[in-house]
Amino acid sequence: MFKQLCNRFGTPISVGIAALLLVWLIALVILPQLLMVDYSFRPNLLPSEIGGPKDSYSLVNYVTLFNNKIHLGIFFKTIWSSVMVTALTLVVSYPLAFYLAKVATPKQAALCLLLLIIPFWINEILRTFSWYIILAYNGPLNAMLQALGLIDRPLRFLSGNGGVMVGMVYAYILFMIFPLYNALESLDANQIRAARNLGASWAKTHLRIIIPHAKPGIATGCIMTFMLAAGSYAVPALLGSPGSRWFTQIIYNWFFEGGNWNQGAAYAFLLLILCIGFIGLVMKVFKVGLGDIAK
Amino acid sequence: MDSSVHLDQIVMRFGDFTAVSRTDLKIESGEFFSFLGPSGCGKTTILNMVSGFLSPTEGAIRIGGEDMRNVPANKRPTSMIFQNLALFPLMTVAENIEFGLEVRGVARSERKKVSDRLLNLVALPDSGKKKVAELSGGQKQRIAIARALAVEPRVLLLDEPLSALDLKLRQHMRTELKEIQRKTGITFIYITHDQGEALTMSDRVAVMSAGKLQQVADPMTLYRYPQTVFAASFVGENNKLTGKVSSVEDDRVSLDCGPLGQLTGTTRQSLKVGEEACLFVRPEYLRRCEADTPQSLRMTINELNFEGSFVMMDARLHANQQGVRVQLNTDAYMADLTPGAEVSFNYQPSEAIVVGGAHV
Repeated sequence: MFKQLCNRFGTPISVGIAALLLVWLIALVILPQLLMVDYSFRPNLLPSEIGGPKDSYSLVNYVTLFNNKIHLGIFFKTIWSSVMVTALTLVVSYPLAFYLAKVATPKQAALCLLLLIIPFWINEILRTFSWYIILAYNGPLNAMLQALGLIDRPLRFLSGNGGVMVGMVYAYILFMIFPLYNALESLDANQIRAARNLGASWAKTHLRIIIPHAKPGIATGCIMTFMLAAGSYAVPALLGSPGSRWFTQIIYNWFFEGGNWNQGAAYAFLLLILCIGFIGLVMKVFKVGLGDIAK
Repeated sequence: MDSSVHLDQIVMRFGDFTAVSRTDLKIESGEFFSFLGPSGCGKTTILNMVSGFLSPTEGAIRIGGEDMRNVPANKRPTSMIFQNLALFPLMTVAENIEFGLEVRGVARSERKKVSDRLLNLVALPDSGKKKVAELSGGQKQRIAIARALAVEPRVLLLDEPLSALDLKLRQHMRTELKEIQRKTGITFIYITHDQGEALTMSDRVAVMSAGKLQQVADPMTLYRYPQTVFAASFVGENNKLTGKVSSVEDDRVSLDCGPLGQLTGTTRQSLKVGEEACLFVRPEYLRRCEADTPQSLRMTINELNFEGSFVMMDARLHANQQGVRVQLNTDAYMADLTPGAEVSFNYQPSEAIVVGGAHV
């Protein structure tokens, strides 16, 4: 490959590009990560003690999580809530993606996609804040529901998990819709017609023909949404209540409030490892290979 | 069981575009019926209306006398074989065949019996466990047929199912389709732009053009006695000579063909003197003759193409430079017929058909 690059752009430019790429990869991606790995296995020490006799590698930082019931609870709650967010996003996105890929005329699809994308030109924090305003106790949603006579007094959407769920579904919906859309679009319309023709109801057609075909897209969308949800900080920080704390907030606290980077790094890696393990498990259960996702 | 299909005064419009003009047609129970026409003539639209993927703008589809207007596609007694077959790639061959029964809630053991029986019928026993991708083109074709038959349809709809196959296989599948139709007694509605397929397999053929039925007839009648200019031009090779009717005597009609002179042919229509009409002579009915005999055409040979059992000759008429084609039996192929030579050919009036109108 490098040879092709040389033939195309000449050796000096190619070497330059490759060098820049390597610098970026090593200095900005790999080294910081390795540094964090190193941090996570060492105790949090005063600057004078670093390099001294107390400075030795151990698993203490990792074990801390399992001795702290509250942190452990939040840890698993984060995973569970992320699963719920992913499921909810899938439920919301599937009909929309199906409409875009198989029902809408090209014009309708283009308009719909534009409407979906425009909000994403705005910063995630701002978008999340707008949900904060919408869902607030004295906000427009409560006002509207009261005006319609559906509720007597305002509801507290922002205590509990509801606000975080809504905010996350909204924040990550495109990461679900696009893989789904791509997968559904590649389905030959005659497959659907053949299933109908053979007597399948709409539910059966989706279950037996359309969803199996879209499985790689569903897997890709779910993995992205799950990873983003589990690693989200802004949404739970803004829309969450003390009862719906996210594990990322604990990691943040270790770094910036506890000043214990070593402990924070260990927590961050535990979250990463668990997420990867969870995804691996889900892929195994649903028989999706890595190759399917790369499609 | 009555499995006739009645297109009862149907019209199909998409916005301003009329895909199928008012059509009333009854396809008999157990008939092998073909719609033949160029692409875009509306034949696939008709198939989609029968299967329930489209609802006619006006009129009704009746299958076995039953109005299908409020019957959705998945409840109709029809089964379709798609142009690209649309086999389900993620299922095995047996699962494909059993799909229609599976969604009807038929028990696994029953389904297995049906798929085994159908795999035997299409001469592919023991391939039930194979993946669709492992099959060859012709095998896929047969699985598609088996899948469509598994739901015991009253009407089988075939949307140019042979067009993706190579010539040998296509000819073989024609025989097989006909054979399956004979064995099952199901009504077959076959869509094709290939007149060879339509003529060899069908009991009756409907020639379609621009959303209109041009002629509905058995293949022999269609070939021998086309009733419209389009049908005469589209089905088989034909030489078209235009003129004005100069005299009518029973079924004999003479046309004044301008520089070509008076030409006589047969008609099944009632034509009036002075009317514009076309005389059609098939390449195989033109015979070598002396100059200036009745119905003779003087021409210059352009090209001779050896086709095996015959030689196809391209020539240009002297009188008006119009191109004509003549089919010569190989034994009649004479040494003086060379490109550039001037020759005369004529035909018997009983073998030329006169059709009213001048344009398709």
